Amino acid sequence: MRTGLLGPDEVRRIADGALNLPRADGVEVLFMHEWGGLTRFASSSIHQSTHREDTGVRVRVVSRGRIGVTATNDFSPEGALRAAESALEMATVVAPDPLFPGLAPPAPTPDPQAFDEPTAETTPSERAEAVAELVARCPEGFTAAGAYETLASEVAVANTEGQFCWAPSSQASVTTVVSGPDGGSGFAEMFAAGRNELDPAAVGKRAADKAVASRSPRDFEPGRYTVILEPAAVSTLVGFLAWIGFGGRPLFEGRSCFSGKQGQQVAAPSVRIYDDALSEGTLGLPFDFEGVPRSRVDLIEGGVFRSGVYDLRTAKQAGTSTTGHALPPPNPEGPFPLNLFMAPGDAEVDQMIASTEHGLLVTRFHYTNVVHPVESTITGMTRDGTFLIKDGTISHPVKNLRFTQSILEALTGTEMIGRETELASEFFFSASRVPALKVGSFNFSGRSDH
Amino acid sequence: MLDVAKQAVEAARAAGADYADGRVVADDTESLTVRNQEMEGIDRSTSEGLGIRVLVNGYWGFAATARQEPEEIDRTARLAVEIAKAAARLPMEPVVLAPIEPVTGTWHSPMQVDPFNIPLEEKVAMLMEATRRMQSVEGLAFAEGGLDLFRRRTFLATSEGTAIEQTTVQSGAGIEATALGDGELQRRSFPNSFRGHIAAAGWEHILKLGLIEEAERTATEAVELLSAEECPSEVTTLVLDSGQVELQIHESIGHPVELDRVLGMEEAYAGSSFVRPEDRGSLRYASPLVSITADASLPGGLGSFGWDDEGVPAQRVPILVDGVFENFISSRETASVLGLTSSGAMRADGWAHYPLIRMTNISIEPREGSLADIIGDTDDGVFMSTNTSWSIDDHRVNFQFGCEIGWRIEKGRLTTMYRNPNYTGITTEFWGSCDAVGGREEWTLWGTPNCGKGQPGQVARVGHGASPSRFRGVQLGVRG
Repeated sequence: MRTGLLGPDEVRRIADGALNLPRADGVEVLFMHEWGGLTRFASSSIHQSTHREDTGVRVRVVSRGRIGVTATNDFSPEGALRAAESALEMATVVAPDPLFPGLAPPAPTPDPQAFDEPTAETTPSERAEAVAELVARCPEGFTAAGAYETLASEVAVANTEGQFCWAPSSQASVTTVVSGPDGGSGFAEMFAAGRNELDPAAVGKRAADKAVASRSPRDFEPGRYTVILEPAAVSTLVGFLAWIGFGGRPLFEGRSCFSGKQGQQVAAPSVRIYDDALSEGTLGLPFDFEGVPRSRVDLIEGGVFRSGVYDLRTAKQAGTSTTGHALPPPNPEGPFPLNLFMAPGDAEVDQMIASTEHGLLVTRFHYTNVVHPVESTITGMTRDGTFLIKDGTISHPVKNLRFTQSILEALTGTEMIGRETELASEFFFSASRVPALKVGSFNFSGRSDH
Repeated sequence: MLDVAKQAVEAARAAGADYADGRVVADDTESLTVRNQEMEGIDRSTSEGLGIRVLVNGYWGFAATARQEPEEIDRTARLAVEIAKAAARLPMEPVVLAPIEPVTGTWHSPMQVDPFNIPLEEKVAMLMEATRRMQSVEGLAFAEGGLDLFRRRTFLATSEGTAIEQTTVQSGAGIEATALGDGELQRRSFPNSFRGHIAAAGWEHILKLGLIEEAERTATEAVELLSAEECPSEVTTLVLDSGQVELQIHESIGHPVELDRVLGMEEAYAGSSFVRPEDRGSLRYASPLVSITADASLPGGLGSFGWDDEGVPAQRVPILVDGVFENFISSRETASVLGLTSSGAMRADGWAHYPLIRMTNISIEPREGSLADIIGDTDDGVFMSTNTSWSIDDHRVNFQFGCEIGWRIEKGRLTTMYRNPNYTGITTEFWGSCDAVGGREEWTLWGTPNCGKGQPGQVARVGHGASPSRFRGVQLGVRG
């Protein structure tokens, strides 16, 4: 009943429709085919369940150094050719791009991570059953909201330089907020390449336990406090660093919080952040969206900023080599690290709590945004479980707080790093694996009423 | 393509759906970005497909496909029914749809000149000239111009007999100047940040924006901001331009009155709302000067249409009347929970997504006076313009916004320029402090093109009419 992988031969046949475009100096075809289902629930009932399947063919045409891009979801050779013709028309009206580095040369790419067939073929009933397992962990008076999703995709890049690479992938996730009386609210999530790696019941229990513990939160005065950030909160900090800091383009142009800081101490010596799409601990593609093999990049090592990530164009601009981090064209924002890791430390969260005289435990952040990109300052709210720690133990839940804080200042003040890491993912093909952190001083600038 | 939508409905009914709608959507976009007189990006995209939504025994199912062959329509319809049946695994009160009259018809957004027919050379030349003029300002690092065009054709058929076709064309453009120095990055945008001013209109809208004419001033302000004073941290009077009032409405009034949020349907992702169903007609949300209306029939708005994606006609709905909360924006399902009829706010992000309650054009009703009048009437305070940053909690209570530029107001005049201005507050306290709303002459119907909601994530383009406004006793200058 469901569509499966088209496979490299069929993808190449479709791409050839565009690659054979006459009058072009170069053609690149990015092919994406995605399908999957999401079972969404609220008030412990399934209220919005969907399944979708789509294909995308994105054609970049080069003509005398000029670039045009057209995308279509008509995944026939004829559709690809029409897109190529449209892109060529656009390329004829623009000036040459002096930084155009050429299309990716032929190069072998690493083997893709395992494609999990059961995840790709998950039925609506199987997703509903998983949600039922999660909901069953809610205590009396509490309800769960969230989503259980299974996705599959195949991505390919072909160009007239002779590069062709293809990779299937799969992803499964479950995320929930459990809420109940007296303002109790708890959160938990889990991501994996295959649905059999998920444990919906454990996710439900974790969120439910936190919801029970966070009932009747008390007012708390904003200010600077020692804070213990659980992995979901840390993933927000690391994710924003990716956005405002690690890209080769803002780095080169002086817009990044790391511009001019190569080799400088930007975080505590215990902090190590790297990007590695090929690691088993993430959900990554073996090549980027212009067909360059991905490579591991050490971004911060021993608290020292080492390097950013690059695609072919920004590498030429910066006088370095691509690291295989291109996004789909035309992408004026430049390259982006999609598979970040923060290396674990040796502490348990319980040890962090026990070592804290007065501080806060934060489950996660909500609706975070940039305040000052060069200073890496962001603002957002806590939600789904914020707790006061007194004399080494959790004292009581507090109402949600607003933070306004420099990420690099927080990383510089890192005192302990968690032993366990968790994978968090905002977008398909993007994930970060991070531990919990204890930070000496974190600025809470406001508060809410719940 | 309406035939495909009708086939989808028939297939879904044959598969066991009690109710079904089929929606074929064809999207075309064109986007250009010029930076420092070089082409950064020029691309077009097309996407076409079919979404089928069904109710089976009071449970929803939805499936979508890019292919429209008869066998694929049948397969997708059966899958939607299977999904709905699976949803019954967790019992709930069956969905009831508020009644509507079936409609047939066509609708097209108003447009004088089709922007897709304008030669690319002309579009590129306009952005090149705007960035050239910005670059003439000494000290500017980056001069950027962007242009975006959207065309959506929607064909909706329902098992109740609705059969409609709609075409919406939206056009927008803007410029952005960036200055760098001494650890500072300062931006000025025109006519608004985040790709400018987008409206449901044609090329005539782009030509009226005046990007080239405003380029030099925009760049000059960006450079001046590098050496401007930091916005002080204080509690004082705040005057906002209409572009910032737009986003303030969006985040702290538009989202909280979405009835799906209020009923907990969005809780896990974007959050819920402090507004409760029993607040209708009694909650003092804002000062008596503030009246807010949701109007999907406004010409030119990004939230304008003939019918929503359930076939409910465009409506004008009072949200706040003289500061008192009156109505939610709703769908057929959520309205029926409160015994109401739908406000007509269901829209999906293309064919592949389930419709959600989305803002239409949610606007503050104009009162009196210009921005100059409001500033002239202010003894001491700060004026802020053009959004850079936004954040609000999961109940839409505590917010913090940043703007590109600010000025001190002293005895009715703008004096010292401030960089990095921001402000924070509590929704009802903030709106309750509003003591001036500008008049019709400076009321602008802005577009917000990037409103995110739902799982899987959807993006909607929505509209907000806003006038410059004044608020008392606001906390400014939040620092990290």
